[in-house]
Amino acid sequence: MNASPSHRPHPAEWTETQSLLPSAERDLPAGRHQFHKEQMMARIHEDLRTTSRTSTASSRTSAASPVAPVKRSNPFLRRAILLPAAAFALAGAVVGGLALTGGGADDGKAALATGPALTTRIGAADPKGAPQLLERISLAAADTSAPTPRKGQYIYIASKVADSYVKSDGGKSEAVSNELHSRQVWNSLDGRDGWLIEAGETSDKGITLKSDVPFSGAYNALAGLPTDPDALLQRIYRASDANRDPEVPRDQAAFVAIGDLLFESYPPAEVGAALYKAAAKIPGVVSVDDAVDATGRHGVAIARQNDTDGERTEWIFDKKTLRFLGERIVVVKATAGDPLKVGTVTHTSAITERAVVDAAKQVPGQVS
Amino acid sequence: MRTRVRNGDPDAFAELFDACARAVYNHAFRLTADWSLAEDVMSTTFMEAWRRRDSVEAEGGSLRPWLLGIATNVARSHHRSNRRYRNAASAAAAAHAAEERVEDHAEETAGRLDDRRRINATLAALSLLKRPEREVLTLCLWEGMEYAEAARALGIPVGTVRSRLSRARSKLRKLADAQLLGEKREPTRTNRQITGDRGYAVRSAQEGNR
Repeated sequence: MNASPSHRPHPAEWTETQSLLPSAERDLPAGRHQFHKEQMMARIHEDLRTTSRTSTASSRTSAASPVAPVKRSNPFLRRAILLPAAAFALAGAVVGGLALTGGGADDGKAALATGPALTTRIGAADPKGAPQLLERISLAAADTSAPTPRKGQYIYIASKVADSYVKSDGGKSEAVSNELHSRQVWNSLDGRDGWLIEAGETSDKGITLKSDVPFSGAYNALAGLPTDPDALLQRIYRASDANRDPEVPRDQAAFVAIGDLLFESYPPAEVGAALYKAAAKIPGVVSVDDAVDATGRHGVAIARQNDTDGERTEWIFDKKTLRFLGERIVVVKATAGDPLKVGTVTHTSAITERAVVDAAKQVPGQVS
Repeated sequence: MRTRVRNGDPDAFAELFDACARAVYNHAFRLTADWSLAEDVMSTTFMEAWRRRDSVEAEGGSLRPWLLGIATNVARSHHRSNRRYRNAASAAAAAHAAEERVEDHAEETAGRLDDRRRINATLAALSLLKRPEREVLTLCLWEGMEYAEAARALGIPVGTVRSRLSRARSKLRKLADAQLLGEKREPTRTNRQITGDRGYAVRSAQEGNR
């Protein structure tokens, strides 16, 4: 381009970006602009109302400080309590006050507390141990009695999870982990409907997972998979090749894809068994002598290292029963420019419950 | 406007919303590759802006860069891994392709078709980048920010903006080279959604934290 040599060309002047410009943009879906605007205005008026009631100080300071008690909550998801509170504004200060202090802490999408990044001792990897261990895991999986859900039911998975990430604040960045928190997922059998409740990500009420593109680990999709390990693996590669991050090695992507099908799902026993057998055929898969899930349960692991980013994905199993406990990702090799140190756990999870329930948002044992 | 926003004037926020909601929404989409998530991010961004109105400096131009900086932070908390972005991008591309098929026989304006292709091309390019590179490029390229402005919106040094952009550029160059090599008149992007299990794409995109 014709940028003068004295100034660095702006990205808009790069030849590399010419095909991307001009930008194509979309409007918000019909009615949503107004909807969100009203939400925001309701919040603003609510805050101002509370402020003027609870504080007699000058408007400048009072406008800022009384908001503080609720600052950790996600206002968007607080609308359920916000609007009733606003509606009852005239009913008295007590109602509004309760909604703010109690509701702000409990009903909103409270941001998760973060702390120093989780670290772990890295278990010893044994490339030779994987086929044998997976064979045993596969046998154990085949032996379980997974229920056969009926049409209209939902697969319910409860887990505890935590993630690490690099937090940037005013130029300095540090690795932090958010606190271990609970996650509950419901998925319809066809994978087109679902519900998610996860601390820090959604409010206590949760959000819909309704989608036109079905969830890959949905029961019907899993039940339709071939149980011949070779055919299954071929299918996995084909699907993961289509969506793979070009930076993630092909075998790693396939390994991760299998994990995605297995863990936050409830595969029929024979499919689960076949998936483990398929994983055994992926080059680079190792066994690990010791790994800890998110809730502190120790076990053995099946793992594979992504050589590009130096992170190892570990599937953790109970040493004796070989039941799946959880999954985690650990930095095992330092990479240049990556602030995450060796031994950092970048993601950890532990499955605490799997069940078939009659409706989304219903927990096991609850009658619909 | 800045003073009114700082002082918590509701009307100023209403105006700000009308003026910038669409931009924040599209910016959030580029960062998340997910339209519904983008809507959430947009909404949260304005709530955040209200909460952080004190941080607005009295002097300065449009508040748009400030909002986009907040939106970037909000989006970041939703998308921590590249894998998730990649998955969301292919899911979005699949959805756009599906729209295209559905509307094939309807009165489709060439412009809308073009828009979808352009958005998919954007996602494909952004998918190549790491999140920090994506954030910087998005602000500079589509929002037209200068380096210093982007640095301020993101709270990072200008040098970091430069180095991220230069990495982004070399990755885009590789993409352009690859496309030249495999140049075809027919767009190939929809193939993946029709064949194979496109469902792999969705999980992370829609289910939040993993």
